[in-house]
Amino acid sequence: MIPKRIGGIKFEVLSPQEIRRMSAAKIITPETYDDDGYPIESGLMDPKLGVIDPGLRCKTCGGKAGECPGHFGHIELAAPVIHVGYAKLIAKLLNATCKECGRILLKNEKRDEYIEKIENKKRLNQDYEDIIKEVFRVTKSVKVCPHCGAEQIEIKFEKPTSYYEGEHKLTPKDVRERLEKIPDEDLPAFGMDPKAVRPEWMVLTVLPVPPVTVRPSIILETGQRSEDDLTHKLVDIIRINQRFLDNKEGGAPQLILEDLWELLQYHVTTYLDNEVSGIPPARHRSGRPLKTLAQRLKGKEGRFRGSLSGKRVNFSARTVISPDPNISINEVGVPKIVAEELTVPFHVTEKNIEEARELVLRTEHPKANYIIRQDGRRIKVLDTNREELAEKLEPGMIIERQLMDGDIVLFNRQPSLHRMSIMAHYVRVLPYKTFRLNPAVCPPYNADFDGDEMNLHVPQSLEAQAEAKILMSVQEHILSPRFGGPIIGGIHDHISGLYLLTRGEKLFTRKEVMSIIKPLNVSELPKPKYVKDGVEYWTGKQIFSMILPKITIEFKAEICQGCDECKKENCEFDAYVIIKDGELVKGTIDEKAVGAFKGIVIDEIIRKYGKDRAKKFIDDMTQLAIRAIMYTGFSFGISDEDIPEEAVKQIHEVIAEAEKKVEKLIEAYKKGNLEPMPGRSLEETLEMKIMQVLGKARDQAGKIASRFLGMDNSAVIMAVSGARGSMLNLTQMAACIGQQSVRGERIKRGYSYTNRTLPHFKPGDLGAKARGFVKSSYKEGLSPVEYFFHAMGGREGLVDTAVRTSQSGYLQRRLINALQDLKVEYDGTVKEQTSGMLVQFRYGEDGVDPTKSFRGKAVDIKRIIKEVLSEES
Amino acid sequence: MLDRRVLAKAYFTHERLVKHQIDSFNRFLDEGLQKVIDEQKKIELDIPDTYVKLGKIWIGKPIVKEADGSKIELYPAIARLRNLTYAAPIYLECQVVDEGRELESEVVEIGMLPIMVKSKACNLVLNDVDPVSVGEDPLDPGGYFIINGSERALMTLEDLAPNKILLEKEERYGEEIEVAKCFSQRAGYRALVVVERGKSNILEVTFPQLPKPISFVTLMKALGVETDQEIVEMVSTNPEIMKFMLENIEVSEVETQEEAIDYIGRRVAPGQSKEYRIQRANQVLDQYFLPHLGIDPESRRAKAFYLARMAEAVFELALGMRMVDDKDHYANKRLKLAGDLMEEIFRVAFLRLTKDVKYQLERAKVRGRSLKMSTAVRSDVLTDRIMHPMATGNWVGGRTGVSQLIDRHNYISILSHLRRVISPLSRSQPHFEARDLHPTQWGRICPSETPEGPNCGLVKNLAQYAEVSVGTSEEEVIQTIFSLGVIPIREG
Repeated sequence: MIPKRIGGIKFEVLSPQEIRRMSAAKIITPETYDDDGYPIESGLMDPKLGVIDPGLRCKTCGGKAGECPGHFGHIELAAPVIHVGYAKLIAKLLNATCKECGRILLKNEKRDEYIEKIENKKRLNQDYEDIIKEVFRVTKSVKVCPHCGAEQIEIKFEKPTSYYEGEHKLTPKDVRERLEKIPDEDLPAFGMDPKAVRPEWMVLTVLPVPPVTVRPSIILETGQRSEDDLTHKLVDIIRINQRFLDNKEGGAPQLILEDLWELLQYHVTTYLDNEVSGIPPARHRSGRPLKTLAQRLKGKEGRFRGSLSGKRVNFSARTVISPDPNISINEVGVPKIVAEELTVPFHVTEKNIEEARELVLRTEHPKANYIIRQDGRRIKVLDTNREELAEKLEPGMIIERQLMDGDIVLFNRQPSLHRMSIMAHYVRVLPYKTFRLNPAVCPPYNADFDGDEMNLHVPQSLEAQAEAKILMSVQEHILSPRFGGPIIGGIHDHISGLYLLTRGEKLFTRKEVMSIIKPLNVSELPKPKYVKDGVEYWTGKQIFSMILPKITIEFKAEICQGCDECKKENCEFDAYVIIKDGELVKGTIDEKAVGAFKGIVIDEIIRKYGKDRAKKFIDDMTQLAIRAIMYTGFSFGISDEDIPEEAVKQIHEVIAEAEKKVEKLIEAYKKGNLEPMPGRSLEETLEMKIMQVLGKARDQAGKIASRFLGMDNSAVIMAVSGARGSMLNLTQMAACIGQQSVRGERIKRGYSYTNRTLPHFKPGDLGAKARGFVKSSYKEGLSPVEYFFHAMGGREGLVDTAVRTSQSGYLQRRLINALQDLKVEYDGTVKEQTSGMLVQFRYGEDGVDPTKSFRGKAVDIKRIIKEVLSEES
Repeated sequence: MLDRRVLAKAYFTHERLVKHQIDSFNRFLDEGLQKVIDEQKKIELDIPDTYVKLGKIWIGKPIVKEADGSKIELYPAIARLRNLTYAAPIYLECQVVDEGRELESEVVEIGMLPIMVKSKACNLVLNDVDPVSVGEDPLDPGGYFIINGSERALMTLEDLAPNKILLEKEERYGEEIEVAKCFSQRAGYRALVVVERGKSNILEVTFPQLPKPISFVTLMKALGVETDQEIVEMVSTNPEIMKFMLENIEVSEVETQEEAIDYIGRRVAPGQSKEYRIQRANQVLDQYFLPHLGIDPESRRAKAFYLARMAEAVFELALGMRMVDDKDHYANKRLKLAGDLMEEIFRVAFLRLTKDVKYQLERAKVRGRSLKMSTAVRSDVLTDRIMHPMATGNWVGGRTGVSQLIDRHNYISILSHLRRVISPLSRSQPHFEARDLHPTQWGRICPSETPEGPNCGLVKNLAQYAEVSVGTSEEEVIQTIFSLGVIPIREG
């Protein structure tokens, strides 16, 4: 084949001559098939227009059904009709040109001036719509033709296809005659190229008939033929056309002819677009509106958005996902029934023919489903022909082999918002019916297991498989281009587990250590930290160190309290992590160390030892963490929110005090003693101060609660280590829910005619209680009024999520459409692909690949200094 | 202390939970049907002195017409099993007046009306049978219809209160202007009247059939308030507002009522003859402007007063003496229940029937046959027009999803579905404020039950103890007010 390149696409309007020229047959009769089921010549299913029935041959190109692409035909219309799609433009043109001489209603100089302007804009690749609009606006108001002096009457356009000159209605024929008179020289002023569009072509005299292949008829079970909507519409057009012709020849009265003409116009209009406002849509016998040309193209399910941009694929699967912490992060568990359906092509060569034969002969899971012979025929491998096929196997054949362990597949979860939404995983064929994935890869997919489904695609060519392995596998995406840190890491129990394991100096006997590190590939135990009474003890920190490669880092852990002055290694909370040569010396491992989005340790490993080591670390870390949490056990129940009587008393005091403070503020406001804050009104100041006081009160209540809950409380452990929940959640459960807000303000809507939120309060009450402050905790339970205010605040959240998802989806679509053609060239510039337009001189204006940046920074100087210094020492 | 469980138990009988549905439908049977007939009064034919007088309307018992022509009393269980419609015949008393000659009064069956299960026209209630003996679940709450065997409930629609002046602020050309709106409703027709304070305090009024807003003063004059002083005083005696009003008077283009009506005529029927213009202007004033106050020339004075109130409200809002109305305040909401919805489709269906009857009678007249209603009424005309919306949920006015297949997943879901309240607001737009839980919904709408997703806050459910009152006749209220010594406007 000769490679060809599309230089450009130009749209023109079909001229009658062009329509006739490209037509393979003139269509005269509305009949389709004769009694024997053969298409009728000169009918709508004329074999010259292509064939859809198997066995017949196209009379134009000789192709069989499936080979012949189809050919256009045409209908000679008995009278011209307006093309609805151009009706508005026609109206504008009629008003912009002289009714007598057809010239543009502008002096020549003025016209040339406009043409010049348009040409200029075109040259600069700019939008020239505005100028054309101006031309139409200016010409519309001209009363007398500057060329022939004829008086102009405004032509009223009535949707969809009628034109009135005063009271007099213009027939399409009149319209066409007027358009014909417009000289070529005037057309550029309307933005038209006379070679591409003659205005009179917008009034149809010949109607192209689309090929049969575009409107195939289907045969129902009853053996009846059911025609396509387009064919139905064309039948209508031909019928009316014929009747019009007969009546005209028979010398029917003008009135009848006009009626028929109108009818013809209606049919042609609905043929082109059946959703034109102003006329009833043409309906099928059943009352269903017909799907005509415009309907095929328009809308979400139309040709453009539905067929051309919407892609459907083979070799894919979709099912519910569930977690499996025992598989690696770059694996995916594929159910056996899925694996038996999906196939990978296996090219038979001289070297692997034996292997291929074995595949064909197999009767169980990794077997061959199909064999594709050299001539392209696909043969299904069945029990009956298995041996025969194996016998006949020869190099050059392709075997479609079932998916098996070690194959590479693409795994995807919608919405695919970033590149980590599709990653390559290695297959693990597993029993049951769900896809299994390691919970550590949930963050990049944003997946959970509450019923989420995911898609799986099998790359077919070797190139695609290689590309998937090298560019798309999970470990390639541990670092996110979003913030230059790891997006894959420990979540939930991984963090709690490691926190419990590494916090302080927990001691484990040999047996305990063995049970914890069982799933890891550790061949040698370090020296025990303590030996007491002949028993060896290892610390949790030592156990964690077993999975660490040789790295050296120091950082503050998530549990860091943020003291004024950091005591570093002497931190009393064990929150300063020191890892020296792969040994956890001090500090607690938590979200900051190994969590997704934060994990500094993962970050360090990936930069020092590469992606595969990081992958191994994450695998080991998750396994270890789960063992560790199972060793101690971890649970959370409602009694974990219990706080002692004393704490409740203290909390109530704090809140009562805050309420008093609020009362005082309101009093001050009412007396006019409140000092407004800069840039705020008095009311705003009051609101802000009240919010401040109440916010502080809740924080204090939370502090009291957490003090009484202690550090051993499961909820506290989860919150401080960053595994799940926050101290705020805890505060709300145990101490005080706090101020409810709608759109960032205290609750203020309500019984506005009496100026209060609820009838439970006095008019004008600005107090804490009346404006949605909830002093109860979830554990205590809310009073009815509190419950209602809480529901108000909660509703806002619900509405927000519902509205936001749709809005962000649309934003994403717009961004993708805007940026899809931009590419970073090898020289570091960003260019638009088709035009080569330069967008950025350097990508991101700093040329930094965010994936390789240090959390957004191009260079981490501190790190480099440390590295250099440690090398020296 | 009171044992609240007793109270709760009394409330949680299944009859009470769907009481609003049944009450509303019963009211429709008692008053709504007759109201629609009385609005129509008679069917005029295009033959002089020939018309049909319409009298009483009532319904029979739910029946099924078998293929052999026999009519059998129908029970809901049978209707469900045999895919029938649980409907009763509608009887109408009517009398043809043939060129001044009164013919004998007839009672004709004009069609079938779907009957709400457990309403007062339901056989379960009428015959007071043991539900189990007729195959009915004794715990079934009723409150829905059976159309072709499928159980369909009519959703309660939440609507902005009609016939109420609502103040709003709107943004126009970058300026904030004050607007008073009023949805005037009469017999199924809704007319939106808008009074807005335009540029330099000139009031403009918009209402249906008017292509462009007209000035307030012109309209007042057209309504018969001719003197400038009267117009100003009608609006307000507040000096500040009077100042605004004087500005309005100054720019007025018309002096007398005649001029004003001609001015409106030129707007509503441009390019027509003068007589037609005036006739059309009068018609528009009576029919399309504040129709809830009356559609005859006598109510024009009342309309003028009402318009003046709207103008006053606009100025008061501009002067900060009033606040904008909260559209989400439940005082500004009305619930359209099953009965109201049935009235809507019955009105449209009946109108259709009258047209058909007219055509049939005229044809009979031309052919010289006797004018008999029993032959002129084709009962399918009305029945189809009622059944189709109920079967598909496509109500008149293009609303969809009005009737829904009831959710029988479990007992609670049925009750919840029958107590659902739907807002007509579009779900594709954010409408943050309308979706919020409003404090006035306390005790009326459940604060917790709303779907997540695009319908959040737009689809609501009645609170557990909430009941919906059906409203009382306006006449009664008016009489009471007058008996308390209020003087009607007309005399003033």
